[in-house]
Amino acid sequence: MFNSLNFKDIRKNARDAIDQRVRAITAGLGLDELRAVVRGDPPTEKPNPRYKVHTTSFTFHIRPRYYEKGTTILTHTFRLGFFTTFFFILESITGIILMIYYTPSPEEAYGSILNLLSNVPYGQLLRDVHRLGAEGMVIFTVLHMFRTYFTGSYKKERSFTWLTGVVLLGITLGLSFSGYLLPWDQLAYWAVTIGTSMAEAAPIFGEQVNLLLRGAPDIGAGGLLRFYLAHVVLLPAAALVILSIHYYKVAREHGISQPAKFVEGDVPPEVKKESKQRLDFIPNLLSHEVFLTALGLLILVVATAYFYSAPLESVANPQQTPLDTKAPWYFWWLQGMLKLGDKTLMGIILPTALVVLLIAVPYIDRNPYRSMYRRPVAVGLGILFALMLVVLSYMGLPEYGIQTPAATRIVQDLAPEEGEGPLHEVPYDQLHAGIYTVMEDLPRDLCPDVNYGCPDMTAMFTEYNERVIEATTNEHLEDFERLPNAEAVMVIQDWQEALKKVTFRILWDDVETGERKSYEHDVYLHENRSPD
Amino acid sequence: MTENEKEGEVNEEKTSVNRREFLNLAWLASLGFLVVNIGGVSYLFAMPRFKEGEFGGTVTVGTVSDLPPVGSDPVNHPKVKLWLTNTEEGISALYKVCTHLGCLYNWNSQEGKFICPCHGSQFEGDGDYILGPAPRSLDRFVIEAIDPDTGEVLVSATNEPMPLPDDPDVIIRVDTGKKVPGETHA
Repeated sequence: MFNSLNFKDIRKNARDAIDQRVRAITAGLGLDELRAVVRGDPPTEKPNPRYKVHTTSFTFHIRPRYYEKGTTILTHTFRLGFFTTFFFILESITGIILMIYYTPSPEEAYGSILNLLSNVPYGQLLRDVHRLGAEGMVIFTVLHMFRTYFTGSYKKERSFTWLTGVVLLGITLGLSFSGYLLPWDQLAYWAVTIGTSMAEAAPIFGEQVNLLLRGAPDIGAGGLLRFYLAHVVLLPAAALVILSIHYYKVAREHGISQPAKFVEGDVPPEVKKESKQRLDFIPNLLSHEVFLTALGLLILVVATAYFYSAPLESVANPQQTPLDTKAPWYFWWLQGMLKLGDKTLMGIILPTALVVLLIAVPYIDRNPYRSMYRRPVAVGLGILFALMLVVLSYMGLPEYGIQTPAATRIVQDLAPEEGEGPLHEVPYDQLHAGIYTVMEDLPRDLCPDVNYGCPDMTAMFTEYNERVIEATTNEHLEDFERLPNAEAVMVIQDWQEALKKVTFRILWDDVETGERKSYEHDVYLHENRSPD
Repeated sequence: MTENEKEGEVNEEKTSVNRREFLNLAWLASLGFLVVNIGGVSYLFAMPRFKEGEFGGTVTVGTVSDLPPVGSDPVNHPKVKLWLTNTEEGISALYKVCTHLGCLYNWNSQEGKFICPCHGSQFEGDGDYILGPAPRSLDRFVIEAIDPDTGEVLVSATNEPMPLPDDPDVIIRVDTGKKVPGETHA
């Protein structure tokens, strides 16, 4: 019986059986072939089984078999489209995990975020990655569009792809904005209130749109649920469909554009030939994408572990607007525009015109050339547009064009109502109880009695001191920035065990009436508050 | 058959619509109608409705005798987001959100005006703009005086204060679903 067993046969049969299973999973790549792929060896079989994968496997059939060498130059694409997709997938995965602990109701939402941060292993990491990824997706989408614009890659057969790209930009902004509300803190609540108020400026349908978005005249339980559903179902589904169309066009129809220097003008034939050389997807590009993915994940994890944490302010209070409320950063340009003039013109008509213009770019620009040197007007307009966005965004900040009274401004900058300021960075043990008065010649050390001193508190108080004195003495400032005859103090009290109360108090003469006015602001600091 | 075909040819020459084309067009039109229908139904489905007494619907704020006397401090109705103010021109229901950036303003009884804590916009008791960065006067809601017996609307005002009827039993009703933007100042 044992004689009939041939070990050679068993090994061969077992190997064949495994090989067959592997081929079924990899859509045609056998064991030897996989080994060759990893080693960078040439294909082991004929016809090339690496091409067959692209017709037999669903996940690979949407990927191209090869890229032309010229299109893979790093400084041509900067891999911006790749990273936008990377962020989309990352957001989907982290988002689904975060949904486990999130409840979309005003009573529960904030608590579920606190629970996530304090009670769920890696909860904070996931939230930070999801938030940073969202910012990244917006940034990379915009950069990707600028790259496409400057390399002239939106022309002719690519004009429809550009259109889907504009739609994807809108969906990306919608995804990011709808996610903004979900933590239900002051930052979220008021940023979204301001954001949706911009929609309200539209004539005729503005109010309807707002009602549809918020489910009520203001944001409440209905609005939160609507934003949540848009964030987790509607917009991701729309993004998936449009992204598929967008990518299919790129991968299957026209490919990534060649840099203009390889196609326009007198290109030596050998350079042209070299640029058209094929780089196979398997293994060259696949391994490159694996590398980029790993790099992206590494950067995100390091950034969230050491440098970035997603902001969370106190729980949303619809009865109280915090000072310096602003829209999410990618809408600052719109807020800046709103400051320039009429809400309807600046908030609706111009932005709509902008979107139409963006869609129409390939049809307006009839210049057949793609090289930047041959389209100076288009490139100039592009740079101008980018600068305009930056300037408008600056104008959208609360610092610009809003006259916050000097006393409020100074104290708000040192100890903001929400978030962290210089005061919060002073270590607890340096906050010695006492009354500190603003004066012209401030002593170098505020706590000479303490042998380890209080350098951080001194630095903070010096800033307070300087700004009050500047507002008192400088008569060239605007009226609202001045504090004539100011008397200002900072009082630190031991309020309870492990709790200090810091009071800022400023008294001054009103510039117009000469009346004595005062401003006071209290901050409570606990010993065990976690410094970020 | 041949006659029909001939007829068809003749019709094509005249470029009038034959039966097949007509049915195709009717079919397409009904499809279009279906799409419009679905759009309309989704719109109605998603549009919120408001009950009497909740913000977004109509709110009865009391009878004429319940109102604050002329010139006194306005009354805050936080649940329905309005300030009820009674000035010499009449009664107004002001939306409690500043027209500047959406902060909630407060009544300063010493100075006798509304002041926004965020950026210092100021407004008169009847909502008129005084100073500050706000682009327009305060938004107000449509306000009506209802006869308690017949339910008839006696007076109503949209963009100005409503003169008060003399009868102390007249019911004052505010429609918080109808917000009228304040007047833009030059």
